[in-house]
Amino acid sequence: MGEVIVVTSGKGGVGKTTTTANLGTGLAAASKKVCLVDADIGLRNLDVVLGLENRIVYDIVDVTTGVCRLRQALIKDKRFEGLHLLPAAQTKDKTAVNPEQMKELCEELRKEFDYVIIDCPAGIEQGFRNAIAGADRAIVVTTPEVSAVRDADRIIGLLEAADLREPKLIINRYRPKMVNRGDMMSIDDMNEILAIDLLGVVPEDEQVVVTTNKGETVVRDDKSLSGQAYRNITRRIMGENVPLMNLEEPSGLFSALRKMIGLK
Amino acid sequence: MTNGIAAQNSAINNLPVELEELVDDNTVLVQRTLRSGQSVYHDGNVVVLGDVNPGAEIVATGNIVVMGALRGVVHAGAKGDANAVILAFRLRPTQLRIANHITRPPEEEISDPDYPELARIKNGVVTIETFNSNFK
Repeated sequence: MGEVIVVTSGKGGVGKTTTTANLGTGLAAASKKVCLVDADIGLRNLDVVLGLENRIVYDIVDVTTGVCRLRQALIKDKRFEGLHLLPAAQTKDKTAVNPEQMKELCEELRKEFDYVIIDCPAGIEQGFRNAIAGADRAIVVTTPEVSAVRDADRIIGLLEAADLREPKLIINRYRPKMVNRGDMMSIDDMNEILAIDLLGVVPEDEQVVVTTNKGETVVRDDKSLSGQAYRNITRRIMGENVPLMNLEEPSGLFSALRKMIGLK
Repeated sequence: MTNGIAAQNSAINNLPVELEELVDDNTVLVQRTLRSGQSVYHDGNVVVLGDVNPGAEIVATGNIVVMGALRGVVHAGAKGDANAVILAFRLRPTQLRIANHITRPPEEEISDPDYPELARIKNGVVTIETFNSNFK
């Protein structure tokens, strides 16, 4: 029986979809059977980020309303054998699915897959309640901004009230240089408020935008720091103990030289 | 609102035996951190064993004690009791209200004491003082 994990944040734009895509790809690259579920009905994104938009025939609402069988709606990823996507509907809204249906769907998916990862919509309304209904555990994504941290705190409270205990935290778009200057919240600042286990820290990286726009995932990029961060998070999800990596960008003449000759 | 009631019920029902005698009819013990959006409303005293995060709210007709960091909005003596006090291990509120007084921390002055503090009304103004156990 597989595990159902919801990726949520409260605030929009902090990187839920990017995180979902990267964790899914990372797990699939480790030979796991993975199904990504886009629960953001009406604002479908995950298919675009994965570069699978043009393969959609049926969606999640077609499955819950019985228009098609689950198997028919699942899209196989073009690069990874074990990776599948259940896309959101674009022409409906969040009320097209209810939490009971989502629970049934998750139960069915977990029989087939090692990991079912649900991309939760922003907000705390029905879309959120749908997304968390069938989940065993939750990952909360935040960025080092007071508004994102505030919303993450609200979400953690709602998750605990829904009996999703001990959610794990991913800090996204972290900029060590700004933190060192005192211009950005540090990991400790966020931990002081949120006080939940840290699953990983993903540094701000242009490469995320570059890969996303090509329908690829940065987790497959061996050279980027953010890709390394996502690979570490993937291993932690699989139960490995991986220490937090050093996010400081190498500086000084020596490392600049090493970079020039491609040693990284 | 519903959160508040749930908090009260669970706090009363799940008390360890040794703490039970500390709670009279009038005091509720909240055994967790209050996160953004969560609130406790109580006709009496409120004691929180955890933090009160920004965006969380406590309204009590009596005193409020926070055994952690108080960063949210709290209102003690909500029915007009000007003798009510607010005590926190780390007093960093968004806003403090006692009876009909409303105050917020000064904007320019950045003091960050790491000891417990007590807020109460003295001579008609809300004052913050270092907490020591024999306060009068």
